[in-house]
Amino acid sequence: MTSYLLAIAIQVGILMILTLSLSIQYGMTGLINFGLVAFYALGAYASGLLTVAGWPIAAGIGVAALVGSLASLPLGFIAVRLKAEYLAIVTLGFAELVRLVALNEQWLTRGTTGLGGIPRPFQDQPPIVQAALFLAVVVFLIVVFVLVSRRLTVSPYGRILASIRDNEAAVNAIGKNPSRFKIQIFAIGSAAGAVAGALQAHYIGYVSPDQFVAHVTFMAWMAMILGGTGRVSGALIGAFVIMLFFEGSRFLRDVMPWISEVEMASVRLAAVGLLLILATLYRPQGIVGDYSSR
Amino acid sequence: MSSGQWIANQVLNGLVEGLVVALVALAITLVYAIARFSNAATGDYLTFGAYVTKGAATWTGSLAAGFVAGMVATALLSVFFYGWVFRRLLQRSHVIALVASIGVAFFIRHTMTLFTGHEPFVFDVPIVRAWNINGLLLQPTDVAVAVAGVASLGLVFALLHFTALGRHMRAVADNVDLARSSGIDTDRVMIALWLLIGAIAAIAGTLVGLKSVIHPEMGWDLLLPGFAAAILGGFASPIGAVVGGLVIGLTHELAAPFVGYSYKLAVSFLIILAFLLWRPGGLFGRVEEVR
Repeated sequence: MTSYLLAIAIQVGILMILTLSLSIQYGMTGLINFGLVAFYALGAYASGLLTVAGWPIAAGIGVAALVGSLASLPLGFIAVRLKAEYLAIVTLGFAELVRLVALNEQWLTRGTTGLGGIPRPFQDQPPIVQAALFLAVVVFLIVVFVLVSRRLTVSPYGRILASIRDNEAAVNAIGKNPSRFKIQIFAIGSAAGAVAGALQAHYIGYVSPDQFVAHVTFMAWMAMILGGTGRVSGALIGAFVIMLFFEGSRFLRDVMPWISEVEMASVRLAAVGLLLILATLYRPQGIVGDYSSR
Repeated sequence: MSSGQWIANQVLNGLVEGLVVALVALAITLVYAIARFSNAATGDYLTFGAYVTKGAATWTGSLAAGFVAGMVATALLSVFFYGWVFRRLLQRSHVIALVASIGVAFFIRHTMTLFTGHEPFVFDVPIVRAWNINGLLLQPTDVAVAVAGVASLGLVFALLHFTALGRHMRAVADNVDLARSSGIDTDRVMIALWLLIGAIAAIAGTLVGLKSVIHPEMGWDLLLPGFAAAILGGFASPIGAVVGGLVIGLTHELAAPFVGYSYKLAVSFLIILAFLLWRPGGLFGRVEEVR
């Protein structure tokens, strides 16, 4: 039971980092990233490939963050010239592109077979301790990204970000360059997404293209919207509630054994859609959303 | 086969594929012009239409009957989601509507797979040899798909330009307040719009199904080319969407042998990027007319 709880806590933690990534990008500057899974995939492959080649895991995760933010730069430069909706479509396309590369560039990614044998940290420990230590690493990284977000929100820098989101023309008028801020924020958020991917790779020890489909992105979107956009606590609570809901749905099969595992997967994904609809209709500000503004 | 014949064949395939993309782009563009958001559920309306057509065609034994059933069912589905979701988001930010449309897309697709499973289906059409016209290989199904595609595009444009309803739709697209104050019933226009979107999506879905197979991801896979075509066409211009669709289809087929068939989709992405940077207004768009 303890190991099961630890496993779930790790998944919750990884989703929290993904949601924080969106929350940094969308919540703070209104950049719409529908290609979050691309950065998640880049992080997973970067760290996976390097550690398989013998690099230490910590270095792998560090490089993953770097790869994530570097990959976001061209998109960031494009993003600042585009309307929010166009960026949404461009990032959606970027995610497809990354998935196609992962599928087809066999020499690098081993295609559909996937990349196995990715080292898991603390392997000399007994399983429970190993999981607990892994969870500690996840929590530590969540704290890092929460601190980064906090720092970004309450600093003078953060006030510029909030004003970019609320009124970009005004920011321009006082002589600040919103583009630079947006590109930086996009890079920071993407680094978080890549770190989440790297953690996932080291947790299950295996990456393959079918882990990186669009619903990863929209799970995080749902968590962010449910929790409340633009709030760090919202991202954390949203991710927790979503994971609770999805893990809970596994127990549904004990009550309704006639539903097959494949059908259950459909039900879960349909629920992602339904919750997204309901959240936008009835709780646009989320559970702990910013009710004072807008 | 000479290279001239090869090019002619690729162009032909590209045009047929382009017609399907044009239908998707038209559905995206009409919603963007009139309801003012990017509808990411368009692809899954298409998938739904293909499945209903297949189901009804198998049940009645007639493809035509299935086609009609698919169009009616998808039109109703589309109006249902308008009434339930998009109508309430009209006054809100178009980003919210876009996120909601993703929700609609997931909801439709996975509710469907709950009943249909993930195995692909095919239409029971007789397999016939391609006609060989001086080395130009012509698939009879492709000809049928092309004729149906052109006919439906023609009907949509006739509706938009020669009927009172079409005039009202274009008026709402231009200026919703002005349209309302000139006595146009905007609610009626919206319902007609969504019925039309559903029908177009079902046609596109059936045509894709006839050309290849019906599977749960078929619509989602067409969403990116559809968006690319819509952006190419200026995002608010129906005729631009059709031209954009044909361009995307042609580039896919002509580029595929060079970039590899698996990277066909990536070509759409690169076209989107290039166009957004070079001409944010698209081929037919007025610059910065986008709200």
